[in-house]
Amino acid sequence: MGMSVALEGDARQAAAVKLAEEQALVRKAQSGDRLAFEDLVRRYDRDVLRLALNLVHRPEDARDIYQESFLRVYRNLHRFRFECSFYTWLYRIVTNVALDHLRRRTSHREDQAPVPDEAEGGMRDFFDRQPELSAAANPEKRLLGQELGAHIQEAMKRLSPRERMVFEMKHYQGLRLRAIGDLLGTSEETAKNSLFRATRKLRASLDAIR
Amino acid sequence: MNRDFHSDAGGEMNDQDIAMQPCAEWQPLLILLAAGDELDPADDARLAAHLQSCSECSATLAREEEILALLAEHRNEPDAALLAECRASVEDALDREEEGGWLRRSLGLLVPSSWLSPRPAWSAAVLLVIGFSVGVLAPRLFRHPASPAAPDNSSASNLASSAAIPGTTSNEAPASPVPTSLDLHSADVAGISVFPSGGEGPARVELQLRAQQPVTVQGTVDDDDVKEVLLDILGKGDRICPDIRLDAVECLRSRSSDPEVRSALCHAVRGDHNAAVRLKALEALNGAGSQEMVRQTLLDALVSDQNPGVRVEAVNALRNMAAKGDVPSDDHTLSVLRDRMQKDPNTYIRLQSAAAIGDLGPRAKF
Repeated sequence: MGMSVALEGDARQAAAVKLAEEQALVRKAQSGDRLAFEDLVRRYDRDVLRLALNLVHRPEDARDIYQESFLRVYRNLHRFRFECSFYTWLYRIVTNVALDHLRRRTSHREDQAPVPDEAEGGMRDFFDRQPELSAAANPEKRLLGQELGAHIQEAMKRLSPRERMVFEMKHYQGLRLRAIGDLLGTSEETAKNSLFRATRKLRASLDAIR
Repeated sequence: MNRDFHSDAGGEMNDQDIAMQPCAEWQPLLILLAAGDELDPADDARLAAHLQSCSECSATLAREEEILALLAEHRNEPDAALLAECRASVEDALDREEEGGWLRRSLGLLVPSSWLSPRPAWSAAVLLVIGFSVGVLAPRLFRHPASPAAPDNSSASNLASSAAIPGTTSNEAPASPVPTSLDLHSADVAGISVFPSGGEGPARVELQLRAQQPVTVQGTVDDDDVKEVLLDILGKGDRICPDIRLDAVECLRSRSSDPEVRSALCHAVRGDHNAAVRLKALEALNGAGSQEMVRQTLLDALVSDQNPGVRVEAVNALRNMAAKGDVPSDDHTLSVLRDRMQKDPNTYIRLQSAAAIGDLGPRAKF
């Protein structure tokens, strides 16, 4: 008991130090220190790219979201008043950019270039050329895995942009529904309803391949 | 807690009431339970009690968790190369943004828009004064000092008054005295335009300079004047805007076998503050030959460049050279590659370093 309280205290202290460091970094970036800004980018950009990639699936679209998000952060950093954490503020921007992108893509789906297909001679990078060491080395299992992956992508595409965003942030970014509602500028209840709808749609789609 | 769930209850529910609720009404709570960390303790306890007696809801929960596990298994993880590409693209965009920001701040000092915007009459008056001043003063400022009747030989130049200095392959005559080498070095570079030759010959390059009077240098990258200005651009580093430095590297790429050009490209890889310029210079050096200076520059970039995109390009170039047998498998090269193979934070670079050691083949001493 005593030990767990001490550990909790240490964790809280570490979080406070981290927060203070981050605030100092934000202040330096606000004063025009480019290196400080790049340091901030590097703290969160992997998460931002992961979120973008899993929302839009195409690396080039994810890169657009990443770039647009950090540019908006850069342009508006002077408006950040430390009323919330920098992480929350950044994610608010990223979610707005990603939602805009998803909505645009939904309305211009025909404009999308086809995703390069390996079978059609699409580009393969260094990693693609590496021998498979996992269970996927089994061709049959690998094929099944690819088919399943395609089904999952199709199922995700059937979600609305907001449903996809809520689902992603809840299950893979580990955010509470209240925080998600806050990020999306809506209520916890609305975020909850989006999660219910997303889960039901995914269940209906994926039950078919059970 | 879901509101519908409570409203039907009409107050405190006992265990029997809970057990008798239809399963459809438990669905939202099952979703929240599977999502984790969303149920309040009371709902959590009620749901646990229900799950003990309801096999249908237990199966639904199991299926819910199975689907989440399946989705987690098929998630996309961004690879290091994509992350490096994204970082480089943001750095470039920030460079452009900073230049734009400087221009906006300068204009902001001249035209205080926040003050003028709520005062349309003042805005109109200021615009009139600016328009009048430009109309009266500009012709005087830009009037050609040498000969008003001189023919305009610089067809591609958009400067009001310019002296076109043809390179050795150009047959155009200069419109004013040719600036000295000192002028070429001291002039600011306003822009570079590249016109592909259409055939196999070198592209035509046009450099707009701001010396005592605007000057346009034309020719191909094989012309000494053009080369001199392009090398000068790289030498000036941050004093010249990154877009122009990038264009200069691109122009010099076709002459990377020239020792002077190679040296300038190596200098850019080591010292340019812009990652995109360093990356482009590395691309230009990739295939420039097996000179010691190039190899050392690539190794230094691989070890010390902060930008993963640049390190990726450096290791790719080294692999390219190693595959051709252009890299000696000496202790220094191998120790750098081994160090990167073990310590670089970027997975791709670690793997490529290992592959480069492999490419060095039996010569490598382990």
